Amino acid sequence: MLSINNLHASVEGKEILKGLSLEIKPGEVHAIMGPNGSGKSTLASVLAGKEDYEITDGEVLFHGKDLLDLAPEERAGEGLFLAFQYPVEIPGVSMTNFLRTAVNSVREYRGQEVLSGGDFLKLMREKQAIVELDANLTKRSVNEGFSGGEKKRAEIFQMAMLEPTLSILDETDSGLDIDALRIVSEAVNKLRSPERSWLVITHYQRLLDHIVPDFVHVLYKGKIVKSGGKELALELEEKGYDWLKELNPA
Amino acid sequence: MASTIDQHKASFLEALQTSAAEGSSARTQAREALETLEVPTRKWEDWKYTQVRDLLKASYTTSGLAVESTEGFLIPDLEGDVLVFVNGRFSPALSTFGSNGDNMHIAPMGHLSELLSGVVDTHLGELISDSNIFTATNTAYADQGVVIFVPNGKIAEHPIQIIHINHPGAEALASQHRNLFVVGKHAVAKVAETYFSIGEGTSFRNQVDELIVLDNGELEYVKIENESDQASIMGHTYGHLGRDSKIRMFTLTFSGELVRNNLHLKLAGENVNAQLNGVYLIDGSQHVDNYTKVDHAEPHCYSNELYKGIITGSATGVFSGYIHVWPDAQKTNAFQSNRNILLSDNANMYTKPQLEIYADDVKCSHGATTGRIDEGAIFYLRARGIPELEAQKMMIHAFTMETVESLSMEPVLAYIEEKITGRF
Repeated sequence: MLSINNLHASVEGKEILKGLSLEIKPGEVHAIMGPNGSGKSTLASVLAGKEDYEITDGEVLFHGKDLLDLAPEERAGEGLFLAFQYPVEIPGVSMTNFLRTAVNSVREYRGQEVLSGGDFLKLMREKQAIVELDANLTKRSVNEGFSGGEKKRAEIFQMAMLEPTLSILDETDSGLDIDALRIVSEAVNKLRSPERSWLVITHYQRLLDHIVPDFVHVLYKGKIVKSGGKELALELEEKGYDWLKELNPA
Repeated sequence: MASTIDQHKASFLEALQTSAAEGSSARTQAREALETLEVPTRKWEDWKYTQVRDLLKASYTTSGLAVESTEGFLIPDLEGDVLVFVNGRFSPALSTFGSNGDNMHIAPMGHLSELLSGVVDTHLGELISDSNIFTATNTAYADQGVVIFVPNGKIAEHPIQIIHINHPGAEALASQHRNLFVVGKHAVAKVAETYFSIGEGTSFRNQVDELIVLDNGELEYVKIENESDQASIMGHTYGHLGRDSKIRMFTLTFSGELVRNNLHLKLAGENVNAQLNGVYLIDGSQHVDNYTKVDHAEPHCYSNELYKGIITGSATGVFSGYIHVWPDAQKTNAFQSNRNILLSDNANMYTKPQLEIYADDVKCSHGATTGRIDEGAIFYLRARGIPELEAQKMMIHAFTMETVESLSMEPVLAYIEEKITGRF
């Protein structure tokens, strides 16, 4: 499904990703852990198509297509979703209008029929329930005045609405209390299927108690330095990120 | 020997001269004043960013090509009176009016009843405190326009739609237009005025509006300027607001080679509520200058001014907002804000807020910002599958629609919304 091969990316001339490779198959959940500055969020942004990054080498194939050649909206249409670490507030654009435009844009891209007003509202109610999102939030402007937890739940709600095949959760757990964490994780678990994959980027092992990954990768200085099963997350938690320095003496 | 600019002034005045309405003292005075009034230059503080000299250069005619129908010019679903002016002249064939019955007296200039002639004699030119060559030319020679009088206590429920269509031919077209609205005590009126210029020809409009709203009266007045790249507008709007009156003004400028909208409101009684909003969405080499002045002459008044601009290409926007709080105008609330988004590297915006406050117990604020569209928000929308252009439209819509929230004419709101989202 997603195949990253020797990816190098820089921002303002500074190389952040230094030859990253990763293979994700349908139905798999991969977790990426690593200390601050290791390149986790850069990887998420590069995959979603943020323009601030320069790709200097390597390739990314998504469903066999050259992902890096696609515009951000085309990537979404192809089935890629990024849950933002810091969701953007957009005053004046209602959540409902935003989602209807997004869902229908993606459906058009995929050659599906555009949803009628009634069908859209039905879908929205159904997906809202999955993340236990207050119905009033969808009447407000996008993310405006949402609490930290509401923003993250709204991201997962959008994910449920857009039905991606690959979802990247960029530190979705950061700043969440235990209840919000449980809601977000349960929502993801409900959506798991043999066709859908996840790339879960996190700083903490705690999320992986709830969303159990098939693989855990450790990102350090722009490269994956160690991969393993879910037990690797526990090992990392126990030994701390300093352990990586021992693994990779400068 | 006369200077070039004087020659231009002379030929401009000659082109616009009419014999109509001789005898009115305001017109006679204006004709006399024209002999000495000079053409503003950029050395004049109020005209610093807008060069008007070239407007007088063309050799103008006052006739243009025909317009056979109002199709494409009407605001959909807006029921009420429609008064149409083609090349500056009233078109009886395209107009229908009188839907408010006895609640409103309305007629185009030149077709005035005795009562409306009386209104004109009493009020025409009354509000023009800062006569310049354009307002004086208008007062002296404009014989076209709409006179509205809503008697005390009358509610004119049906909105008035005034449509101007200029269709210049090979020669440059100049048109003049004069509106006079008098809204009586406790009376209500709503007006939407749209301007169009069509075809490839050059045109120039010289427009003056005088709005008088008496005690506890209410006026909603929307102007939509939809001009070609060869069309210019010099507009002056004066409002005089009596005690407890309300006015909601909205000015939307889409285009035009050179547009100057002067708006001067005098809050002349206590407890006036004035909202003056505007939006301009311009590109190419268009130049749009909104010059506004709000005079707080009495206590307990509220004014709120919000102008927003989207500027792209190498277009230029100008906003001047002058708030003057007189010594007696205690408990004034006066707010002003001008926000702009530049979509291109060559777009320009000049903004100049100006507050002069001579009372000591007031709340006044002003703010101006000019920046780029929020790229983070655009990326967020695109990451959800929304194409770039659509994302930009959503952002422009979100940015501008705040300015029309208080308008009550739903079809006008819908029309504005559609026009704004379809602009770029």
